[in-house]
Amino acid sequence: MSVLIDKKTKVLVQGITGTQASFHIQRAMKYGTKVVGGVVPNKTDDTYLGVPLFETVKEAKEKTKANASIVFVPSRSAKNAIIEAIEAEIELVVVITSGIPVADMMEIRNRLIGSKTTVVGPNTPGIITPDEAYMGIFPDNIHKRGKIGIVSRSSTLTYEVVLELNKIGLGQSSIIGLGDDFIIGTNFIDIIKKFNKDKETDCIILIAGIGGNYEIEAAREYAKIKHGKPVIALMINDPTPLSRFDGIASEIICDCITDTEEKRDILTASGMIVVDSIEALKEELLK
Amino acid sequence: MNIHEYQAKRIFKKFGVNIPAGLIAYTPTEAKNAANSIASEGPWVVKAQIRAGSRDMGKFLDKRAGKRGGIRLSKTLDEVFSNADDMLENMLITNQTGAKGRLVSRVYVEEYIKTVAKFYVGIAIDRVKASVVVVISKIVDKGCEEFVEFISNDKDSVFMLDIGIEKEIKIAQAQKIADFMQVKTTGKQVKDFINKLLKIFYAVDATEIEINPIGLTKNGEIWALDADIYFDKNALYKHSEIRALTTDEEIEERELIASKFGFQYKELNSGVGIIVNGDGLALNTINEAQNIGMDTACFLNLKGGVDRDKIAAGIKLIMTNPKVDGIFINILGGFLRCNLIADGIITVANDLGLNIPLIIRFEGTNKDEATEILEKSGLSFLIAEDTKSGLYLLKKAIEEDF
Repeated sequence: MSVLIDKKTKVLVQGITGTQASFHIQRAMKYGTKVVGGVVPNKTDDTYLGVPLFETVKEAKEKTKANASIVFVPSRSAKNAIIEAIEAEIELVVVITSGIPVADMMEIRNRLIGSKTTVVGPNTPGIITPDEAYMGIFPDNIHKRGKIGIVSRSSTLTYEVVLELNKIGLGQSSIIGLGDDFIIGTNFIDIIKKFNKDKETDCIILIAGIGGNYEIEAAREYAKIKHGKPVIALMINDPTPLSRFDGIASEIICDCITDTEEKRDILTASGMIVVDSIEALKEELLK
Repeated sequence: MNIHEYQAKRIFKKFGVNIPAGLIAYTPTEAKNAANSIASEGPWVVKAQIRAGSRDMGKFLDKRAGKRGGIRLSKTLDEVFSNADDMLENMLITNQTGAKGRLVSRVYVEEYIKTVAKFYVGIAIDRVKASVVVVISKIVDKGCEEFVEFISNDKDSVFMLDIGIEKEIKIAQAQKIADFMQVKTTGKQVKDFINKLLKIFYAVDATEIEINPIGLTKNGEIWALDADIYFDKNALYKHSEIRALTTDEEIEERELIASKFGFQYKELNSGVGIIVNGDGLALNTINEAQNIGMDTACFLNLKGGVDRDKIAAGIKLIMTNPKVDGIFINILGGFLRCNLIADGIITVANDLGLNIPLIIRFEGTNKDEATEILEKSGLSFLIAEDTKSGLYLLKKAIEEDF
């Protein structure tokens, strides 16, 4: 068992022939990810990196029985690529692309209502189940298999946490990067619920991001879960005015809770264990 | 990013929102002439133009301006002149500008509209729900923090309307807003006003529009007395007219250069220069540095970098910042490949010479390749295993350097 991805997941790559996609997909295949095809509109070849190429997601799904797709399509055409995957009823779509306009993501989120698809990202490092498979751009030499599930809005902080966990001998069940964008496809609570059901996960680490109401909602929903697995939330201080991008209306929508201190209180009240440094996180895990 | 009030008001006007007649002025004489051509008699309002809120409650650095803030009612043309004279070429400090304040290079002179009631109006996005929300409040003319404090104490002072991704509000929804405001304005007037704002919101790819405040005249007309628009930077490629507004002298030159290359660059104090590849890593590194008593001069976030030359140009920004006395490059390569950073470091070091300590920590994609490139270069630097040890090494190196 694992969350969202394992070595049996059949992965399509949308935009496979791009330089970045080629580089990272080859690494993922070497790692063990089952890549079954690529989708490239107006393709000139029939295969690439040893897998068949298709013009549309629909055709690719019919021919390969793919159940997941990773999107490397440039930001300006990413919306159509993602919607194509939703319409083809691909179960899982991981969007690596960054720089997708907010309005496009708003539209995508509304298309997801009632659909069979989960979109992770955009602007995510991806998802990984160590020693099995990953869809993303992870440094692949750092993850170790174990019992800790990680769900995160910060890619680099996740790598940092993984490296520190390795030092104390704690591996990971699955790691889900939610992405760092204004609007994201999947929120914390969806993943926390999946980790709760996953037999291989004992404990969940939530790595908070900057700004927005994602952590607040996670806390609100987590408080409703009965017999949930422990969640340790890592919320690093924000000494720079990085998070002050918005006006008053945005702050009101976030229930006026935008600074780290206030967010920590809400998370603690929901039953999560809140820590402010990786050092404290390690101590908490060793308890 | 957001823009000046007068720039936002020009956009408002294009979409038919009522705004007071106004003109921009760069000198006190221009301000007086502007006032004279707007209306034959006063009062007028002189407003300092900086890209930060809470101007009314702000204070000017140069004491010649007195204790009053950056928005001033002026009854006579001479008052317009003297108020503009106080503000121009002065630094305005508000709770959103930081201690340094922002230079007022222009003022906006407006006709005064007599109103019977004022409200805050905002249109923003609920990020979790991915829906657009209209926010109305009875609390006006307050800065963000004060505002929030008021609201926390009085939840009834705010009305929120979640409209999903609808492009317009309906008359029934508008009537609810009108009822909340409890003033002499009709649902239809509210509907027209809000729908004009929504039209702007979608047309310019805004992430937030706020008017603090709107003013209602005694016959129920709604006027935008203020205007602020926050834009989605990911959609700016569609709006060359808005991009043009950002080429402004207020943006720090280095930040501007970094943003041209697609990187985030922030100046803080003086101390270490930090180069990372992610927001979270930046925060963690700055915090860890603080824990061992090191201040951060600036940080550069190379996230998403794929181009050698751009990465080199970014690194150059840190190396040429006089406030930096040591550099820590902390890269956890996923998408970003470590070897590209190594190439960038060598390019810049060969170009400028390296006369401050440099500590490098690479992890992840192409780590070994990167380390090899650097070792072959003959450059003087130290390799660290992790964030903490890197910062310790740097601290020691800086102390020895002095």
